[in-house]
Amino acid sequence: MLNVQIVFMGHRYDAAQSVPDRLCLPDGATVDDALKAITGQLSGDNRISSNCLVAVSGMHVGTLGDHRTMILKDGDELLLLAPVAGG
Amino acid sequence: MTASSNFVTDEFVKSHDDNKFHTLVRSNRPQWTMTMPSLLPEELVRYARQIGPGVLTVEGQEKLKNSAALISRAGGMGGPAALALVMAGVGKVIIAHGGRLVSPDLNRQVLGSERVLGEPRACHFAEYLRSMNRFVTVEAVDHEPDDAEAIALARRVNIVLSCAPTFGERLRLNGAAVRAGVPLIDAAQWGMMGTLLAVDPGRTACLQCIYPAAPEFEEIFPVVGAISASMGSLAALQAIKILSGAGCPSFGRLWAIDGYRGVSRQLQLERNPNCPCCGDASVPSARRCSVPGAEPC
Repeated sequence: MLNVQIVFMGHRYDAAQSVPDRLCLPDGATVDDALKAITGQLSGDNRISSNCLVAVSGMHVGTLGDHRTMILKDGDELLLLAPVAGG
Repeated sequence: MTASSNFVTDEFVKSHDDNKFHTLVRSNRPQWTMTMPSLLPEELVRYARQIGPGVLTVEGQEKLKNSAALISRAGGMGGPAALALVMAGVGKVIIAHGGRLVSPDLNRQVLGSERVLGEPRACHFAEYLRSMNRFVTVEAVDHEPDDAEAIALARRVNIVLSCAPTFGERLRLNGAAVRAGVPLIDAAQWGMMGTLLAVDPGRTACLQCIYPAAPEFEEIFPVVGAISASMGSLAALQAIKILSGAGCPSFGRLWAIDGYRGVSRQLQLERNPNCPCCGDASVPSARRCSVPGAEPC
């Protein structure tokens, strides 16, 4: 098993209380597996935008809707950054 | 007048008292390679606290004087950014901002005041900026530029600061900077958080590399002025570093600051060689930006 820390930032960070801080995933789990586990726990207004940026331990891997396939390592940090544009 | 700081000595100021200006090569856009005008003794006094160890060199300060920056828009983030650039001595600052100042703007738009409520923003903001530094030229554009005007403006400057409230405008400014081959600093905010991106066109990821399609975003959004000023100031700091050659610009990284929870992260970005904006097929290599002294640290 591997532990992955989850960090959510960006638009509507206030509504992201239901995003877990940590995930426990089977060895060999991918970014996609982690994202499915996270989004599966959200519904309705708390749904995360498909344009949300995804980064693994500081490295940008794409968006929620279109990202690179990547196997996670124990201790990785998965960052979700919902786009903001306010000026 | 004398320079009272430890950073610039009185002797140094006196040695520049001749104020012999060099001939400038005429160009629409200031060039880093042109012969630069010497700083006036009064300017050396004004900037005494930012010339020295760990800050700018005299040459860096001269580069600032010989530089131009476009800031669109000049509200919550762009206003503090413009103010910081003017006070730092960037030779020409162009601000673009349409509309009139309304009361809800005054929780963050530091260039406004109760006195000019209901008035057009750009001209009053520019007037305030001019009052802060007589050694700087400030130009006001009283509307948000369209595609063609954004490119034309970007070609007149050395750097573009995008502080616009919609992805449409931000992607337009991103495209204008890429077309003009000048660096872009993109600042954004929501609530108590903000993001900052520095783009060296053709070398590091642009805004469209990471957002191929403009995400939806509300034009009226919640925001606390303190985060606006923070993000605007950090955007200006990036610009000052790039223009002066001091420090390490954060090209290729997206900096996210969550002031609500006190958390910050930097994402390492990869440029998309197939990006419709800055991709290899879209931007001829000759037009790619190459900022002197802006290699990654």
